[in-house]
Amino acid sequence: MYARRAAQLLQELSSCEEGQLPPYNGDKFDQVIRECEEHSRQFQSLIRDKDIETKNEDHYGSFIHHLSIIRNKRCLMAYMYKRAEVIQSYRWNVGRVLPREIQDKLNFSEQEYFKDYCGVIDSYMKDLDLDLTVDMVPPKDPYIRVRVLSEIGEVSLGDHAVSLTKDSFHFLRRTDAETFISQGLMEEFVE
Amino acid sequence: MPGYYDISDILMEDEAVSVAFHVGANGVGLLDPGTETNSVEKGAKIDLPFWLAHELCRRRAVSITIPSCFGQKMKKDVQADAACVDLGTRYPYFYEFGCKLFPLVGDKSIGLFLRHTFANRYKEMLSKSHTASLNAIPKFVLRLSKEEYQLFEAARSSMVEFKKWRVRDLGLMKTTIVGHKRKTDLH
Repeated sequence: MYARRAAQLLQELSSCEEGQLPPYNGDKFDQVIRECEEHSRQFQSLIRDKDIETKNEDHYGSFIHHLSIIRNKRCLMAYMYKRAEVIQSYRWNVGRVLPREIQDKLNFSEQEYFKDYCGVIDSYMKDLDLDLTVDMVPPKDPYIRVRVLSEIGEVSLGDHAVSLTKDSFHFLRRTDAETFISQGLMEEFVE
Repeated sequence: MPGYYDISDILMEDEAVSVAFHVGANGVGLLDPGTETNSVEKGAKIDLPFWLAHELCRRRAVSITIPSCFGQKMKKDVQADAACVDLGTRYPYFYEFGCKLFPLVGDKSIGLFLRHTFANRYKEMLSKSHTASLNAIPKFVLRLSKEEYQLFEAARSSMVEFKKWRVRDLGLMKTTIVGHKRKTDLH
């Protein structure tokens, strides 16, 4: 009672490393909500039939219950907000598809949130005709060495045509190569 | 000012303070483990979390007693050696808590005490953060409060970035200067 459980929820969240999430603790979350209902019941029983202005014992008791509910609300909101922030960062750091370990830590509505967020980002990038999630760190070189993984054939890049046969090496502009790399047809060749 | 969603602010407000009730309060017996009825008597002395004590104090229902972290013993410890006082395990929210507490308690000396403690610990913290390596966590770090720890991390990461910048690969041949141990303060 009195927001101790809610504080434990937040402790759990803050003890994780930056950018990581603990599994969604649905049980504790529901317990906090039940505590709020209990506070609300006590509050109702204390203010029933009383004049709001008289500052007697019931008034202060009901005030304490009211403050507890507000406090629980703040803790739960902060919990959801922090998790939502980390989920947003996953789109930028990890990508469109989340690995199994991360997905297991999210509850159903958080997974939906992730899908919707990806959808919003994608429609925005489509309007701009620009992929914002590539090159998060500015690259040192506009050109990149690549190795072709599967047969692509003749492709015209800029002013010349390149024959992209399997297992051939090329030195291409980064923007041209990115589309093939994201489809898995090429890989960056790092010495 | 910390925001509504700021988790460290929320956790800081969970610190317990001892209060004396000026009024009675019904229906909240769980707050006072010693009570038999479901209420708190006028004049009772209980430990409340700070968020509750703060609101009740504003409405003059309770008065807050200064907690031990700002009391005489602490002041003596800080006088003796500020850098050795273990804020990390005992009072991780020392500074923020003090800042929020002192308008309510009316003890003007808390503000000066906070500043004095911070100033004395700062020198030690500054020199340790510039010399500490990335992997080892010196025992000293465990004694820092949350705010001090953020400063420490900021200094350490800027030192790491500086070292990386010094040995960066310019695409030229590396010279032997990089290997020398130069006797400057930065090492």
